[in-house]
Amino acid sequence: MTTSNLQFLAQPPRFLFFTGKGGVGKTSIACATAIALAEAGQRVLLVSTDPASNVGQVFGLQIGNRITAVMAVPRLSALEIDPQAAAQAYRDRIVGPVRGVLPEGVVKGIEEQLSGACTTEIAAFDEFTALLVDSALTADYDHIIFDTAPTGHTIRLLQLPGAWTGFLDEGRGDASCLGPLAGLEKQRSQYKAAVDALADPLRTRLVLVARAQVSTLREAARTHEELAGIGLSRQYLIINGVLPGSEAAGDALAAAICQREAAAIAALPQGLSALPCDQLALKPFNLVGLDALRQLLSPLSLISAAPSARENAPIALQAPDLTTLVDGIAADGHGLVMLMGKGGVGKTTLAAAVAVELARRGLAVELSTSDPAANLVETLAETMTEAQQGALPNLTVSRIDPHAETERYRQHVLDTKGAQLDATGRALLEEDLRSPCTEEIAVFQAFSRIIRAAGKKFVVMDTAPTGHTLLLLDATGAYHREVARQMGSSGHYLTPMMQLQDPLQTKVLVVTLAETTPVLEAASLQADLRRAGIEPWAWVINNSVAAAQPHSPLLRQRARNELAEIDVVKTHHATRYAVVPLLKSEPVGIERLLELAGHSTERN
Amino acid sequence: MKTIQVFDPALCCSTGVCGVDVDQALVSFAADVDWAKQHGAQIERFNLAQQPLAFAENAVVKGFLERTGAEGLPLVLVDGEFALAGRYPNRTELARWAGINAVLIEMKAATGGCCGGSKCC
Repeated sequence: MTTSNLQFLAQPPRFLFFTGKGGVGKTSIACATAIALAEAGQRVLLVSTDPASNVGQVFGLQIGNRITAVMAVPRLSALEIDPQAAAQAYRDRIVGPVRGVLPEGVVKGIEEQLSGACTTEIAAFDEFTALLVDSALTADYDHIIFDTAPTGHTIRLLQLPGAWTGFLDEGRGDASCLGPLAGLEKQRSQYKAAVDALADPLRTRLVLVARAQVSTLREAARTHEELAGIGLSRQYLIINGVLPGSEAAGDALAAAICQREAAAIAALPQGLSALPCDQLALKPFNLVGLDALRQLLSPLSLISAAPSARENAPIALQAPDLTTLVDGIAADGHGLVMLMGKGGVGKTTLAAAVAVELARRGLAVELSTSDPAANLVETLAETMTEAQQGALPNLTVSRIDPHAETERYRQHVLDTKGAQLDATGRALLEEDLRSPCTEEIAVFQAFSRIIRAAGKKFVVMDTAPTGHTLLLLDATGAYHREVARQMGSSGHYLTPMMQLQDPLQTKVLVVTLAETTPVLEAASLQADLRRAGIEPWAWVINNSVAAAQPHSPLLRQRARNELAEIDVVKTHHATRYAVVPLLKSEPVGIERLLELAGHSTERN
Repeated sequence: MKTIQVFDPALCCSTGVCGVDVDQALVSFAADVDWAKQHGAQIERFNLAQQPLAFAENAVVKGFLERTGAEGLPLVLVDGEFALAGRYPNRTELARWAGINAVLIEMKAATGGCCGGSKCC
């Protein structure tokens, strides 16, 4: 294997963590790294938390939640941790003893409290802990490789002394907002040892995995800063799936992608540009099987696209476009349209496309966005200018700054609740306020002011609250009170929860990409919404290469891989769906947004 | 000295940090509990989301939950007997149950800047 020139593999320490958003290829790279090190004579343990859980499939064996020797690769063992199962076990530890003892409604309420993303994260970290401290379990390995990393929020929480008082030390809770730590099993000293190991540059290397896209690189930069801030200073960057320049010839789409990727790499966000960086080329094959994984770490220059026999076969994609979906939305005359999905799947662009498409039909539309990304603000800016010029006079655009909303909310909580806390309690509260839920709630509060307008016109939003958040807010009645307060004493009102549950008033569009992990992540968002009694109206598969009908062999291979994922969405997840093609140029302005929706106006 | 037990509703995100608004009653009560403890009161708090077993193992609390559900919380027991439900006790009530000297309460009030001076509410 020719991997000697990869920087992240040079003199690896004991622990290697690969982190990045879903679909960037963390698990494949972690597998390939484990194989490379084992074949170089090291004893390696590979730990995967990938919900797609394809590690077993890659090595052709059942792994599961126990250390299993990989026969095909001497010196390599693997372990799979299912974060959802870990979270369920964790809930069971707390709720199990009272199930059937306390009333069912009470038990359900407790379970919802423990169903957030934080709980899953902390439960998974709980499982990691034993692997990060020296023990008989890990003594046999030179390297332990993780295809994930804990977030800065989790680590900081575990570092705070205030988080622990009253829980593990005394076994008695205070009225803190720190639910998740209550069910942790291990001793505080063990968590401290684990966090110390993470922050020790001699023992731990963190590898950020990204794609050559502005949005994923920006996200990687945020992760970099957050984790560097708590001492994980030894970081590396991998830019995965880079389209080789040789593909650009004879395919306008491939040429545009190459150009876009080169521009993104040339303009790396601050912080990332200083890190040792490796680029891995997009591969013409599926990353399944040992041989495929061995080739994954081959350097960019050595890859030549291997023409496949099926190369010229047409890509058989018959899927509805966004315009068809908008037909269904427009039929109701007004209502709320929310786009939901993980960061980077293109919610804001699609929200803009849906809004423009509705407005084109002469309907009154308000587009409301919370995306701080500069290029998307450009999209909207151009849309607004054109709208003001009379192109689409019935389209208005409003913007919510999530940073400002969250800051205002934090400050409000600290000024009220935090005013009487001592230093320890205040530090804990401040950390609680950095949890991902806080931003979601702060932004949703701001949005709930706009939502009410959806009774008369269309309101299209590029975000939606998770089911977990809605259930928590609704369970306490706090939301009803808030709405009642805002509506005054006029008597008749509708809570946001009631409005969201009614498909005639609210349509949730789940946005994803035609790749395994993003589809799984979208499915879990959908499951979470269903828990809150909300049925997503449709799925939108964005940035589809298959829908763009490419000529380049590599892109054609990717397009063929997409077909299976599109089929899964169509048959398993969505009641209705649309596929939106990857465009040659950034969808800026009304014309290109209409093109996304299915109008063939692209200039060649 | 009597023991005061406070059975809180499930307090995770719903009440404080992640709620629509911060519950001021909780803020004040936390401060009152602190004050009472400093004056020797025995106060224990149980959070439904974190220590549901404490709720299930106490016959009074369990019966209360069966009748009213979690919406009826908080519930306060003094020496194991029902004392208050549906709201948090104020400082005076805490002091009375815990047997904290009345002089202390007034002293505290006088220095607390609330209704200081002779014309105390």
